[in-house]
Amino acid sequence: MPTTEELQTIVAANNWTAVLPELLLGVLALALLMADAFWPRHRRVILRATMAAQGAVLAYAVVLFLRADPGVVHVYFAGSLVQTQATELMRIFFLASSLLVSHLGWVYLQNRSLPRTEFFHIVLVVTASLMLLVQAGNFVLFFVALETLTIGLFILVAFCRSSRFSLEAALKMLITGAFSSGLLLFGIVLLYGLAGNPLLPGTAEDPLNFAQLGAFLGATGAAGEVNAAQPLALIGAVLILVGVGFKIGAVPFQIWIPDVYQGAPTPVTALLAVASKAGGFFVLHVLLAGPLAPMWDTLFPALAVITALTLLFGNIAPLGQHNVKRLMGLSGVAHAGVLLLGLLAAHTVDWAFAAVLFYLCVYAIASFAVFEVMAHLSPEEDSDQDLTHYTGLMRRHPLLGGVLVIGVGSLAGIPPLAGFIAKALIFVAAFQAGLYALLVVALLGVVVSIYYYFGWMRAAVLREPLEEDPGDGRWYPQPVIAPVAKFVMVLLAVVTVVLGIYQAGLTEVVGLR
Amino acid sequence: MSVMPEPALEHYLLVALLLFAIGVFGVLLRRNTLILMMCLELILAASIVALAAFSRFNATAEAPMMGGNVFVLFIIAIAAAEVAVGLAIIVTLWRRNQTLDVTELTSLKH
Repeated sequence: MPTTEELQTIVAANNWTAVLPELLLGVLALALLMADAFWPRHRRVILRATMAAQGAVLAYAVVLFLRADPGVVHVYFAGSLVQTQATELMRIFFLASSLLVSHLGWVYLQNRSLPRTEFFHIVLVVTASLMLLVQAGNFVLFFVALETLTIGLFILVAFCRSSRFSLEAALKMLITGAFSSGLLLFGIVLLYGLAGNPLLPGTAEDPLNFAQLGAFLGATGAAGEVNAAQPLALIGAVLILVGVGFKIGAVPFQIWIPDVYQGAPTPVTALLAVASKAGGFFVLHVLLAGPLAPMWDTLFPALAVITALTLLFGNIAPLGQHNVKRLMGLSGVAHAGVLLLGLLAAHTVDWAFAAVLFYLCVYAIASFAVFEVMAHLSPEEDSDQDLTHYTGLMRRHPLLGGVLVIGVGSLAGIPPLAGFIAKALIFVAAFQAGLYALLVVALLGVVVSIYYYFGWMRAAVLREPLEEDPGDGRWYPQPVIAPVAKFVMVLLAVVTVVLGIYQAGLTEVVGLR
Repeated sequence: MSVMPEPALEHYLLVALLLFAIGVFGVLLRRNTLILMMCLELILAASIVALAAFSRFNATAEAPMMGGNVFVLFIIAIAAAEVAVGLAIIVTLWRRNQTLDVTELTSLKH
C-alpha cells in the first residue's frame, strides 16, 4: 500500500488548472443545456453566446500555446496527463474545428426542424474529449476520452433522426466503432497483464501508464529474453493498432467510412473528417513513439503494407464516384495514407512529425472550406449530394465556386496552394527516411487523385448551369449565404492560398524550422 | 469427496478468451442488430474479466495493481453509455424500417 507521503505527492500532482480549457468546455456544455431549459425563447442569443465563449476558450488556448516552451514535457495527475507544445497546438486545432463545426451546424440546422442546442452541446463534449485524448499518458484516460468521443459521434451521426440514411450510417458506425473499441481494449488488457507479471524482467508497477509500459517492453532479462518479443505483447500491440486503424480509416479498416460520411449530416461529416481523424493520428504517433516504440522493428512491415494499401485504395476507390460526400470520405482515406507515410518517416526523421501536423492543419483548412460550400448546397435530403449539384456553380455563385475550387485544389495538392507544400514536405521526409517504395506509391496516388478532384472542379467551373429543372432531382438547392458564412469561407480560402506561398508562420508554429 | 481446486489465472483467461471469441465471431457472423449489440458487450465483458484476473494474480506486496480494478469501473460506465446510445439508434431504426436485419440496411449505396 502507498504511504501517506506517497499519497500526498500524488495529490500534489493533481494540477486542475492544467485542464482548465477542457473544464471550461464541459461547464459551457452543461450551462448551455441549463440556459436552454430556462430561457427557450432566447435560444439564438444563447447559442451565439456559446460560440463567443468557445472563441474565448480558443484565445486562452492560444495564450497557453505561446507560453509553452518547445521540448518541455509537463506531467500531471500521476502520469495520466502529458502536455507538450504539440498537445497545446492540438488544443487550438480542436477548438478551431469545433467553432467551425458549430458554425456549419448553424448554417445546416437553420432550415431544418432539428434541435440546435443539443448539437452544440455534443460538439462541445466531443471537443473536450478530443483535447484530453491527445494529452493522455495513461490507458484509462486514453480509453475514456476515446469512448466519450466515439459515443458522442454516434449521436451526432444519427442527428437527422427522421432520415433513414442518417440512422443507417449511425448504426454502421455504432457497430464498427464499438467493435474496434472492443479490440483496442482487449489489446490494452493483454499488455496490462503481461507488463504486470512479476516473473518477467522490468515488471511495471503501473502497466497502464504509457511510459512504464514502454520501459517494460524495452527491458531485457538476464537470459537475454526480450519482453517486446513475447507473443502476448505482439497480439496486444496488433489489437491496439487495429483499433486505432479503424478510427483513422486505414485500409483494411476503412469499410465504414463511405457509408457513414454519406449518411451523417454534413457538419458531422466535417467533424469526422477533420477533428476525429487528426485525433486518431496524434494518438497513433503517441503510441508508436511511446509505449510501442520497442516493438517498432516487428510492427514496421505491417504498418508499411497498411500504408501502401491505404494509399492505393484511397486513390482508386473515388474514381467514378458521383456522391460528393462519399468522394470526401474515400479521398480522406488517401489523405490518411499520406499521413501514415509521414508517421512512418517520423521514426527516423525528427522533423517529419511536424510535417504531419502541418499537413493536418492544411488539410483541415481546405476541408472546412469545401464542407462549408457543401453545407450551403446541401439539398433537403442531405445524403444525396451529387456532382451535378455543382454544375456551373462558378457562374451561379462565384463566391461558392471560387472557395470550392481553392479548397478542392488544395486537397488535390495543386501548386501554388497549401496542399501542395504540405504533401511535398511529407514526401521529402519520407525520402530522407528512405521509404522509397512507399514514396512511389504515394506519388502515383497524387497523380490519380488530381483526376477525380479535377472532375469536381470541372463540374463547377467548365460546365454550363442548367436552365430549367429537369425534374429528376438534379435541380440545384438555392443557397442563402449569411455575411458570417461569407467571411468564414473567404478567410479559409485566403489562408489556403497564403499558406501555399508563404509558410513561415504555420511552419514555425508546428516546429518546422 | 473431492475438493474444488482454486481457479488459477489461466482459468479466468480461458473464460475471457471464450467471451472475446464469441463476441468477435458474433459481430462478424450474425445479422440481427440486437444480437450484434450483445456480442459487442461480450467483447467488453471479456476485457473486464481479464483485467480483474490480471489485477488479482499479478498483485504483489510492492505493486498492488489497483489500476486494473479501477479501469474496470470506467469500462462498465462506458459500456452502459454505449448501450444507451446504441439501443436508442436501434429503436429509432426499428420504428422506421420495421426490421432489425443488418443485411437489409442498404440504402447507402451509390
